[in-house]
Amino acid sequence: MAEEVARGVPSHVTGDLGATEIALDHDELRERMSGNLCRCGAQNGIVDAIAAVYAGSGA
Amino acid sequence: VIELAYTRATDASDAIHRAEGENAKYLGGGTNLVDLMRETVEAPSMLVDVTGLSAEIEETDDGGLMIGAAARNTAVAEHPVVRARYPMLTRAIVAGASAQIRNMATVGGNLLQRTRCTYFYDTDGSRCNKRSPGEGCDAIEGFNRSHAILGASPACVAAHPSDMCVALAALDAVVRLRGTSGERTVALSDLYRLPEDRPDVETVLKPGELITAVELPASDLAAHSTYRKVRDRSSYAFALVSVAAALELDGDVIAGARLALGGVAPKPWRAWRAEEALRGRPATEMTFLQAADAELADARPLAGNAFKVDLARRTIAAVLQQLTEEARP
Repeated sequence: MAEEVARGVPSHVTGDLGATEIALDHDELRERMSGNLCRCGAQNGIVDAIAAVYAGSGA
Repeated sequence: VIELAYTRATDASDAIHRAEGENAKYLGGGTNLVDLMRETVEAPSMLVDVTGLSAEIEETDDGGLMIGAAARNTAVAEHPVVRARYPMLTRAIVAGASAQIRNMATVGGNLLQRTRCTYFYDTDGSRCNKRSPGEGCDAIEGFNRSHAILGASPACVAAHPSDMCVALAALDAVVRLRGTSGERTVALSDLYRLPEDRPDVETVLKPGELITAVELPASDLAAHSTYRKVRDRSSYAFALVSVAAALELDGDVIAGARLALGGVAPKPWRAWRAEEALRGRPATEMTFLQAADAELADARPLAGNAFKVDLARRTIAAVLQQLTEEARP
């Protein structure tokens, strides 16, 4: 998921398809995790945990 | 355990040769076919893996785009030419399934995913004319919230589930086919047949015929296009109604429009009548609603999906309004 963001792959909630850099904000993270592993991959706690790890990874 | 032969094709003619004379299915990402095999709805005795065939996405000499059938859905969605010149296609793809499925699913496989409903999957408990021709349909009198309102038949009311194909229908995509008797091309809208009394036959493909590529013609309209999907959950759900639309304005008048609907028919539904009703008319909400009404005049809703007629009408108008506002300085 982080690699796809780094590659600039747009998601359903990406506003500008011409954007080459995508900020992994809350909506982007939820959309990209929805259906990733399972349908519950975008629960609040999971989203917070991924955001914390992502911020700490320097990605 | 399902016993079957598995073989990998090196090119299109090799794939056709391997499948010839066998109860074979071509295997792309397997995101639908393998599901159906697990549920015993599909039971091929051989899988010919065609993921090694062309996945190239290349611009053509006449300004279009040629997409190899083995290209993954994500590869198409993220391609810079698709994003810039055919934005409705990127929007449609990323509205479908989940990221993992899109990363696996091929373009050819997306086109040939089964038109299906939950009764089709329910091999133990439900009658389905698509699964067992002639046995009856339990969806028509059953839970049919997600089913078709256009183009269905007394034999089958399932809706084609693809998002990508709705955009491809609106973009006049051409499907390149190869079989034992050579190559041919078919417009994407003509690839699918309506169920009538044979819902088990979903396309005009001949036995053993393989999709090798999808070609997008050059389009002046497509750069100003979008896709909107209305569904029960905001993510990872099939469309109740979806709209792929492109609009070209000359001042306040509609010079041209491309419109296709998803979630409402057994095939990606090109809205020819609505396009005709839009051309040359002022770009107003009244025009948009009248065009939607022209397309939906033949709608035959079921007990559970009558809401789709009005939902489709309002979604068509809203998307055209959005494109109109975006086009104005």
